[in-house]
Amino acid sequence: MKRPELLAPVGSFESLHAAIRGGADAIYFGVEQLNMRTKSVPTITVEDIAEVAEVCHNNGIKAYLTLNTVMYDHDMQLAGRIIKACKTAGIDAIIASDYAIFGMCQAQGMPLHISTQANVSNIESVSFFASMADVIVLSRELTVKQVAHIVAEVARRNIRGISGQLMKIEAFVHGALCMAVSGKCYMSLHEKNASANRGACVQNCRRPYKVTDLETGNEMVIDNEYIMSPKDLCTIDFMDQMIEAGIDVFKIEGRSKSAEYVYATTKCYREAIDAVLDGSYNQDRVAIWMEELEKVYNRGFWGGYFMGKKLGEWSQIPGSIATEKKVYIARCSKYYPKIQVAEFTIESGQLKAGDPLLVLGRNTGSDKLNLTALVVNGEPAEVAIKGDKITFPFENALRPGDKLYKLVSENA
Amino acid sequence: MPKIVHYRDRCIGCNICYEMQPEYWRLSRKDGKATLIGSKLKKDTHILDIPLVDVEMSQAVAEHCPVKVIKVFS
Repeated sequence: MKRPELLAPVGSFESLHAAIRGGADAIYFGVEQLNMRTKSVPTITVEDIAEVAEVCHNNGIKAYLTLNTVMYDHDMQLAGRIIKACKTAGIDAIIASDYAIFGMCQAQGMPLHISTQANVSNIESVSFFASMADVIVLSRELTVKQVAHIVAEVARRNIRGISGQLMKIEAFVHGALCMAVSGKCYMSLHEKNASANRGACVQNCRRPYKVTDLETGNEMVIDNEYIMSPKDLCTIDFMDQMIEAGIDVFKIEGRSKSAEYVYATTKCYREAIDAVLDGSYNQDRVAIWMEELEKVYNRGFWGGYFMGKKLGEWSQIPGSIATEKKVYIARCSKYYPKIQVAEFTIESGQLKAGDPLLVLGRNTGSDKLNLTALVVNGEPAEVAIKGDKITFPFENALRPGDKLYKLVSENA
Repeated sequence: MPKIVHYRDRCIGCNICYEMQPEYWRLSRKDGKATLIGSKLKKDTHILDIPLVDVEMSQAVAEHCPVKVIKVFS
């Protein structure tokens, strides 16, 4: 069996380090306004591209940049500058769906991946793009059988990309789904003049709706008010089938999600892929991963379109049904690298020995920990309150300013 | 005097301000963002005095901005 590449979403430096710690083989990120998450993410800038590339390559993973919005004439100079910055920084590929970007990548010798926004759904389209790209992110609306057929045909027809290697097939394995075909939704633009295809989606599909008969004024009885908001894609319970299908790259959605989401999803899929490959994949382990995935942002899970085309798994609320939330507690004041001890100052709430904790930081990423014993102001104690300094051994280096959160049940 | 204020950093260059009010807006070819013609930069905001007669249209532009980076003070 082929070992697929695990590709994690990055919307901030925190998420970047979280993806690395979670075990990603590669990450993707966007800059400025030419990526599909311009509204929801404080964007990484052109000036940051070199740092992202450096961090990734120092950690032995690849970095791809998404340049996948609708492109207008006034975007061309900025797009050119971004591609040039990627080339200089050694970014491994650009993910795009616009013909102008295809042309610019060719002209600058920049490796290209075809975005899911291009809706590639058949082998002939894969063949068409082989003259300019190396990887195709397939349309999210295909079944696993259709994907497997495309993968098999790439090998049978010996379709090679611009680098000379067999074309690689990428598919989303986890994260938000739309009821619209990827890249073809104009609902947000139509109602709020906020184009989803410029990264400004207002997510009006995620809200509750009722249907009214205009003639009589009667409201139709429907089972679910969230008739346009599908649950999130999750493939971890059929990861074996996804790997058997021969998909080269497994992509996790979520550049606008938090670092702990990136860490949790990346780690679960890392373990699941490794488990399938070493033969230890089983339903008991799936149950454990599902529990971890349910703790971070999700609208409930279903297998997406992979298991058949039935649309019928709708979310029940507008936002997340994550089972855990984080509560801010303390800020890192010092880290002593020689003895691997961290010192945090409690700024809010209180902490007890045994509380599950999460640390987040720009260059730290996301890390979970559990302190079975508490040292407060240098003395063993049961509880720490605002103003106290706590110290604990921690083998991963932390930085002053890193934040410590307590994880509590969403129902608490 | 009424004013248009543009928080340009968060502009996504969607083009709607230029479509609606080309006398006040253009799209920069340099960075792809909208530019408020003739405005003065104060801290991180671009500010332009406008006549009262243009307030209504400018408010419509502000309403249509998908990322709400245009404000009109009358």
